[in-house]
Amino acid sequence: MMLGYIGRRAYHSILSVIGLLTLVFFLTRLTGDPSALYLPLDSSVEAREAFARLNGLDQPLYVQFFQYLRDLLSFDFGESLRQHRSAIDVALEAFPQTLKLAVVAMTLSILLAILVGALAAARPGSLFDRIAGLVSLAGASTPDFWIAIVGILVFAVGLGLLPTSGTGSILHWIMPVFVLMLRPFGLLVQVVRGTMISALASPYIKTAHAKGMKRRKIIFGHALRNSLLPVVTVAGDLTTGLINGAVVVETIFGWPGIGKLMIDSIIQRDFAVVQSTILVTAIAIFIVNIAIDLLYVGLDPRIRY
Amino acid sequence: MTDLTLPSRKSPGNLRQLAIYLSRDKLALVAALFLALLLLCVLLGPLLVGEQAAKLGLRQRNLPPFSVQQGWLYVLGADTLGRPILARLIVGAQKTLTIAAAAVLCSMIVGGTLGLIAGYSERWYSHVIQRLADVIMSFPSLLLALIVLYTLGPSMLNLIIVLAITRMPIFIRTARAEVLELRERMFVSAARSMGASSTRILLRHIAPLALPTLVTIAAIDFATVILTESALSFLGLGIQPPDFTWGAMVANGRGYLATAWWIAFWPGLAILLTTLSLNILSSWARTVADPQQRWRLQSLRKTAR
Amino acid sequence: MGSASIRIMAGALLAAGWAGSAMAQNATEVRIVLPEQPANLEPCGTIITNVGQILSRNVVEPLTVIDAASGQPKPSLATEWKQTDPNTWTLKLREGVKFQDGAPFNAEAVKFSIERMTGGKLTCSNIAKFGDAKLTVKAIDDLTVEIKSDKPQPILPTLLSVVMIVSPNTPVDKAVNDPVGTGPFKLSSFTPQTVVIDAFDGYWGKKPAITKASYVWRPESSIRAAMVETGEADLTPSIAAQDASNPETDFAYLNSETTAIRIDAGFAPLDDVRIRKALNLAIDWEGLGQLFGADAKRASQMSVPGINGHDDKLEPWPYDAEKARALIAEAKAAGVPVDTEIELIGRNGIYPNGAEAMEAMMAMWQDVGLNVKLTMLDVNDWLRFLQKPFPEGRGPNLLQMMHDNNKGDAAFTIPIFYTSNGSYSTVSDPALDKQVAEAMASTGEARTANFKAIFDKVRNDVVTDIPMFHMIGYTRVGKRLDWKPDITTNSEIPLANIGLKN
Repeated sequence: MMLGYIGRRAYHSILSVIGLLTLVFFLTRLTGDPSALYLPLDSSVEAREAFARLNGLDQPLYVQFFQYLRDLLSFDFGESLRQHRSAIDVALEAFPQTLKLAVVAMTLSILLAILVGALAAARPGSLFDRIAGLVSLAGASTPDFWIAIVGILVFAVGLGLLPTSGTGSILHWIMPVFVLMLRPFGLLVQVVRGTMISALASPYIKTAHAKGMKRRKIIFGHALRNSLLPVVTVAGDLTTGLINGAVVVETIFGWPGIGKLMIDSIIQRDFAVVQSTILVTAIAIFIVNIAIDLLYVGLDPRIRY
Repeated sequence: MTDLTLPSRKSPGNLRQLAIYLSRDKLALVAALFLALLLLCVLLGPLLVGEQAAKLGLRQRNLPPFSVQQGWLYVLGADTLGRPILARLIVGAQKTLTIAAAAVLCSMIVGGTLGLIAGYSERWYSHVIQRLADVIMSFPSLLLALIVLYTLGPSMLNLIIVLAITRMPIFIRTARAEVLELRERMFVSAARSMGASSTRILLRHIAPLALPTLVTIAAIDFATVILTESALSFLGLGIQPPDFTWGAMVANGRGYLATAWWIAFWPGLAILLTTLSLNILSSWARTVADPQQRWRLQSLRKTAR
Repeated sequence: MGSASIRIMAGALLAAGWAGSAMAQNATEVRIVLPEQPANLEPCGTIITNVGQILSRNVVEPLTVIDAASGQPKPSLATEWKQTDPNTWTLKLREGVKFQDGAPFNAEAVKFSIERMTGGKLTCSNIAKFGDAKLTVKAIDDLTVEIKSDKPQPILPTLLSVVMIVSPNTPVDKAVNDPVGTGPFKLSSFTPQTVVIDAFDGYWGKKPAITKASYVWRPESSIRAAMVETGEADLTPSIAAQDASNPETDFAYLNSETTAIRIDAGFAPLDDVRIRKALNLAIDWEGLGQLFGADAKRASQMSVPGINGHDDKLEPWPYDAEKARALIAEAKAAGVPVDTEIELIGRNGIYPNGAEAMEAMMAMWQDVGLNVKLTMLDVNDWLRFLQKPFPEGRGPNLLQMMHDNNKGDAAFTIPIFYTSNGSYSTVSDPALDKQVAEAMASTGEARTANFKAIFDKVRNDVVTDIPMFHMIGYTRVGKRLDWKPDITTNSEIPLANIGLKN
């Protein structure tokens, strides 16, 4: 039953990835001929033709596409025009950097959002509820690149507490993670609070109350458990969105992740790398989606596939 | 997302009820007033200060804020070309909000319709629609936007199209989920047995009930779209000069955060306040619509008497 | 729950922190932060700024170097040179030089490097400086080479400053990321985060004070400036004018770049010289100059001072809106369609404040009554308009551009802009072609005078461009370093020239 479900999802995922790659292949080709970018400004027409021939760009588009598909079948993902090495290596090297950042940011967001959301829901309308709601929403409503640059100017330049950018020590993680957390945290607090309030008003919690259970135990033990389902749904969707944030964060903080790589390769028309990064990201997102569906089963015994 | 039914607009009693709820929640009231003010700017801004917003003043580049020596329009300072920031904020509101509104409306209508079809029908195109949503979902929207904008060029129309496409899956999925639930209900079966056509059932019976949920999502999405647009500007792919949005203003001013903070600060604040207001209003709307939470506003009214 | 979650968070953060490598810095190490990540480290691409700033004269060395003050070639791996006939040069090579992989430096190595460049089996950017010349290299003896060209090369020693000599063990048919040269530093590592180079013990010259350098990259100028301010980095080139706020650490220097607008004279109303002059006169140059920093020098021609052929006496166009309006009125009276929409094509990120400059210029032209509309394009799109063949279906257009000539001679400027087959040229004038051809073949003082005459003619009669400013580079140098940037900083940062203060 379960295996069949995973199999079906995987089959759908593969269809989607193939569709995505086809789309991206033709879209990127439409962005123009890269030869002008790779050759110096004053190079001759012959030099440009030679470049196109060297990189197989002189073939008709459909020939290039079938060539690409054929290479894919033998796990050849093409060579990076910029870096002169295998495009998939370039993508796989950058991916873990983004993954680490995303996992830390998402874990912290979920844990903090549950804590803050639950406390806010415990006393709806209280001062804490109001402030927590406003602050988390404000965080989610600010342009992330703006917060990032202001953060650097304040904490690294003004106060000298943190390094401006880059990777290395644990201190380097603080600002990128914080910026990346703003949006998921802000939205998750809302979700947790909303579902918790509903849960706390439900009859069985009232029964627990009547039985004289401790309030803290009721909130964190029973009500929370029931509100995890929507949290998982929203968190899953936010994980995809996290990569958007990662593009900006990686650009500003000089984090060598896949978002930055993607931007650079699109600007530089490094087609093979664009395709490889998309392949890697898409597969990762499908895995996340399937994992979330399985988590559902774990959390809610009523759901069966 | 809970199934919510907003009070119908047709009955004045409910409208008044709504106004009373609004006046009970001070934060939501302020948010509503702020959005109303913005609407005024959108409608009248370009007429009133359109000319001043484009007027060069290279001798007063980066004029600091809080001085009215140059006229009240300069109270928030001047930008890198000496143009009054206040005037530009007012004029910029139009493009910013038009882009966001158009994108959200398009994705709600197209995504909602596709979702209705996918939910009601079990034919092949239902599957195609779902895979389409998967493809778009499985890919970070910012990066999709990058590729498409590089292909088509960053004009206002293209920007709207791209933003609309990237936000579509959420509407497709939500609409489909709503339909899946609604179509099993009694009144739908009744209509079907009375010989109503599928189109009629979808449009007359199901769509009106699915709409409120979609509208709530649209309000949150509106905020997301404004932020995405500003991130695109940061990456150099947003709207291009001489046109401008708040996002573009923040992006242009980011190089001056250390020396002339006001250039990026005010438009950033405008984005924050707008998205915050939208978020506050939509969470207020959820409270109003949720019978389990509405008591808070009602009991407030009682204690106020 | 509370304490458990805190433990989890702390654990996650710690684990994450250890994954990176801590960067300990000792006194003779420097960190340099560049605006862009080098795409690769192929020595044949050193004319690309971010490759050249790492490799040039650090890892790989050229045969000659250009003296920043005089613009003349000076010895590097070649110690002396002689023109034996118009097409042939003979070079003496430096003795006792070794490559970082132990291979000896000799005539064969020079022949290998030049043939690798010209072989066409890899994309070589540097070769573009030679135009379409065909070079043949012959080793006369171990330390003498003869370079023959199919056409006269009066400035070959200058051109040889882009020929980077690589070890004969370098693959000829593919670009490399692990260059081996004769420079004072050898490459230690190249990752997506950093390039590290270490002192090479077998270097032929004086030992540099710096023993190790690491390069990182950040696109935001304000962040790079902040990194030097906080001591995270020691040096960063090309910061924006507004970030160069500390006179102690920030150096302004005329780099070799000239900004301009190219006028496409092929379309009405731009085919009328009065309109082209009016375009030059309508700009409030002093006001516009504020966007380029206080030290930017107003330009009257496309080459910077110090380049052979630059005419110091040539006056830049003044700001005279009244005269511009009068010229337009005159043209209108003569039947020129002055109301036609003119497209001003800008390029995103071409130089700091580039988009603002275009917005300002558009407003100024509109102010004198020209119907100018701005379009900002991405590099690749913009390139289509810059180089021939120009796109079909274009109308009257103005193109934002920046020209870099750091090679000491106007020969790298004039032909591409002003001859009929020049790749950026919108001019087609047989008389001018002939004048340029004569200038290119001439030498000595005649060459200088001929180039000056062409610049004068272009400024006063042809008017197919709007020279804007000779640009200023701002470089922030940390207090630890004893070094001043100069006109060559855009293409190379030789670490051997950088001293350390105690």
